[in-house]
Amino acid sequence: MRARLLSVLLVASAAAWGADREFDQLVKGIETHYGTSRMHIPLMGAANLVVKVAHAAGTSGFKLAVFQNLDSSAEYGDQADLDRLMDRLGTGSLHPLIRVRSRRDGESTYIFTGEAGKSTRMLIATFQRREAMVVEVTVNMDTLMETIAHPETAGKAFGVTDPSWDQ
Amino acid sequence: MSIARMVLAAGILTAAAFPSGAQEIKLPPGLEKLADKAEQSVDVTMNKSMLQMAARFLSDRDGDEAKTKKLIAGLDSVIVRSFEFARDGEYSAADVDAVRAQIQAPAWSRIVGVRSKSSGENADVYFKNGANGQLGGVVVISAEPRRLTIVNIIGTLDPTQLGDLGGQFGIPRLDVGGLRMERKDSK
Repeated sequence: MRARLLSVLLVASAAAWGADREFDQLVKGIETHYGTSRMHIPLMGAANLVVKVAHAAGTSGFKLAVFQNLDSSAEYGDQADLDRLMDRLGTGSLHPLIRVRSRRDGESTYIFTGEAGKSTRMLIATFQRREAMVVEVTVNMDTLMETIAHPETAGKAFGVTDPSWDQ
Repeated sequence: MSIARMVLAAGILTAAAFPSGAQEIKLPPGLEKLADKAEQSVDVTMNKSMLQMAARFLSDRDGDEAKTKKLIAGLDSVIVRSFEFARDGEYSAADVDAVRAQIQAPAWSRIVGVRSKSSGENADVYFKNGANGQLGGVVVISAEPRRLTIVNIIGTLDPTQLGDLGGQFGIPRLDVGGLRMERKDSK
């Protein structure tokens, strides 16, 4: 029994480590490519709460990284360059699922998914005119299906904004 | 029953027995570049492992879920590419013809082809012939003046389940009678 418990714990921590790795890899890749750093987000726990409340039915395990003033990088805004970057970074155990580009809103959204036990892990990277956001969230199948049915709103659906980030 | 539905039904019945195999439609470079002109472009790709993952979460007991589970069990991939333009004429017939050129007999049969001069809306549905009366794949091309949607489904499908695919996985619902392709609201 003890051995079984240990193996369950090992599998769980390996999955968690894998999840962290892909999120961190994506965040680090964006930082390196655009010569920027993710924002320090005060009250991140509150943001977590907002997401849990807003998507109580199907969302958990929320991680967020926000980048600002990306337009100061010469490469930012080059769509082909961004596609290449995301193709390179979106690997590992996650599969590219959705790619939405909206010239109207000046926004590009990339969604990767992978299995997380009885749920699905979604890694969402949204690039706007000046800012970008990477969200990792665990969703249930209903939420995943809803995202696939309305991919154009996926970036906004998981978007979290807080006035304090601008300070 | 509308004429288009009758054509669809006839097409299903006459689907011949050719060996089934994966045949993913490659979007020509010209079409890929449409994303630069489009106001909005959407690219949904579900590969076999993702479809299997989705199937695992669906219940065998719930009527709709069981139906969807059975439906996706034989699928290898679902790809949806959609472009929305601000003005008419942002893409050319040649762009779409380059896709159609890949979907040729004998492997593929064009089951529905609707052209509307008044609205400029065109819809084509192609079936890949599979074994034992099954379909080996489906391609839907919906070309409207300001919107172009290409759906490529690869895998084994039961023709009777085809209608259930509309509205699933970002696949537009095909209402051939009204010549509209639209996403079904899931909620």
